[in-house]
Amino acid sequence: MGAFLALGLFQGAVYGLLAVGIVLVYKAKRVFNFAQGEFGGVAAFTAFAIVVGAGLPYWVGVVGGLAAAVAMGLIVERVIVRPLESSSRTIMLVALVGVALFTIAIIVLLGQPIPRVMPPLISGGGVNILGAGILPQQLILMAVLAVLAAAMAWFFKTDMGLAVLASSQDTRAAQVVGISPVAVSRLVWGMAALLGGIAGLLYAPVGIFTPGFMTLTMLVPAFAAAVLGGMTSLPGAFIGGLAIGVVQNLGIYYLGQQLKVPGAAELGVFALLMLVLLIRPQGLLGKEA
Amino acid sequence: MATATMVLTRVKVQRRFGLALRVTVVLALLVLAALPLLLGGDVWAQRISRAAIYAVIGLSINTLTGHAGQISLGHQAFVGIGAFAAAFMASRLGAPLGFGLAAAGVAGAFTAVVIGLVALRVTGLYLALVTLAFGLTAETTIFNWREFTGGGAGAFAPRPAVLASDHAFALLCLGVLGLVLYLDWRIVSTKTGRALAAVRNNERIASTLGVNVTGYKLAAFSLSGLIAGLAGGLFAHWNQIVQAMDFEFQVALVWVLMTVVGGLRSRLGVILASAFFALLPLTLPNFLSSLPWQPPFLNEAVYHVLPPFIVVVMLLVVLRFFPGGFGQLLRPATDWLAGKRKQ
Repeated sequence: MGAFLALGLFQGAVYGLLAVGIVLVYKAKRVFNFAQGEFGGVAAFTAFAIVVGAGLPYWVGVVGGLAAAVAMGLIVERVIVRPLESSSRTIMLVALVGVALFTIAIIVLLGQPIPRVMPPLISGGGVNILGAGILPQQLILMAVLAVLAAAMAWFFKTDMGLAVLASSQDTRAAQVVGISPVAVSRLVWGMAALLGGIAGLLYAPVGIFTPGFMTLTMLVPAFAAAVLGGMTSLPGAFIGGLAIGVVQNLGIYYLGQQLKVPGAAELGVFALLMLVLLIRPQGLLGKEA
Repeated sequence: MATATMVLTRVKVQRRFGLALRVTVVLALLVLAALPLLLGGDVWAQRISRAAIYAVIGLSINTLTGHAGQISLGHQAFVGIGAFAAAFMASRLGAPLGFGLAAAGVAGAFTAVVIGLVALRVTGLYLALVTLAFGLTAETTIFNWREFTGGGAGAFAPRPAVLASDHAFALLCLGVLGLVLYLDWRIVSTKTGRALAAVRNNERIASTLGVNVTGYKLAAFSLSGLIAGLAGGLFAHWNQIVQAMDFEFQVALVWVLMTVVGGLRSRLGVILASAFFALLPLTLPNFLSSLPWQPPFLNEAVYHVLPPFIVVVMLLVVLRFFPGGFGQLLRPATDWLAGKRKQ
């Protein structure tokens, strides 16, 4: 029981990290960023190619992976998001789904759909927390999540962050006072890609990873975390991520192990999402629905 | 006077000639489309059934995304629930196929209502997230529920004697497709269609006009679920066995993309795109492996990701350069066939 709780918390840190990026894009653009997971996928596979494939030092892999993620974010912004700025949000979401599938297909075409193992930042045994073995990598992940969620919350208090919010509320009025919508768009997508890249780099060494690992298993709980947190709240994304991780693992413990319900983790996420939308659609810390 | 009459007669003759020409072209196209069914043997009959089922799924997504402006990213769940319901009716209860298909549609619609009641109250595209989570739950929990679906072994859905041949079954699929097309046409050309257009364009303005926004979105989603369930029922009997792995989450994403590539609200476009993507995974690997020269990066694993890859590339091209999809490309031809005159 305690072990499930601890595992859930640390699993939830990844969801929180993805959710921070999702919330950033939603705050600025009112779009569900379905491509958020694949920013991490690109970063992880680039870093793997550099560290394991080419045998270069780890920090080169980290820098290369993050650079690849940010480059992808900027390309997506230029090629997909900006031309579709005037079309409906429905079309924008479909396009971002397309981006995610496109990226997965490219990774499969270049690297074959085989599982890979990425060396962790710090090797060594796990730490015992409530009877669960938590890897050093997961501790780093949790710390990074806390720092990044706080940093993003601070960002929206700075002039630059306020400019992003202003542009989100009324693009033309913001333009009149000198806030370029193009610059805001680039900034938001670049930052979202960086956050996604960090999530991918930190999560890939926790287990084995395959093409699409961030989208296929991580993205749905991350969205649920963002909704639970209130979709526009960064502390909400942090708390939501951890809560989703805990709910998933409690689901596995109660439903999966004791009642033998298959797919208990997925069921837990779905039930929680339905419950949030039913009882408190504005989320835990959100101000509006 | 005489000249005027002559001119009028000429116009009339030209119109009649034009009408005759258009009818001939339509008939010729229909015959051309029927050729694979008549001459292609069982293989093509099966393929046409699959194409028709995909077209029904495409129209189901069109009802939700095209008419109501909402997205479901877990439509494979509704199709799957329909398929397992039909299989359950056929193999466990021994019910006739008609009852099985009805149960499939009802199961799909019921599921959609339950999810829509929660997710459609909130403004925004939350339905996309809820259906996404539901799709995963359906895949791992519902479809692995042994009593209902037979667990991993799958559920059998035998065909009745009348429909045992692939040709008869293809006709059934085409018949259902015709029915769904008729439904779609009736939606668009009635009050419901106009209300949905208002909701799609601006929910706030629609509600000031007295349109029940949530109600119409829910109606569109439940109809979409019904059609998807029906498609699932057809799929069950087409394959004659239903397994959880037929309804993986990427499938739904490809379906949404395929409908947009076909062109939202364009019936012909959606049908053509759906048929194309139904047949692509069946024909492309064979075609590629029969090529005399094999590019070094091609292999079995790649063949399987290639069809979704092609969908995505087409989607990105469509969204950038002709947002109306196939429907927009075909517009000049369809306008001419429908007898619309240039302004």
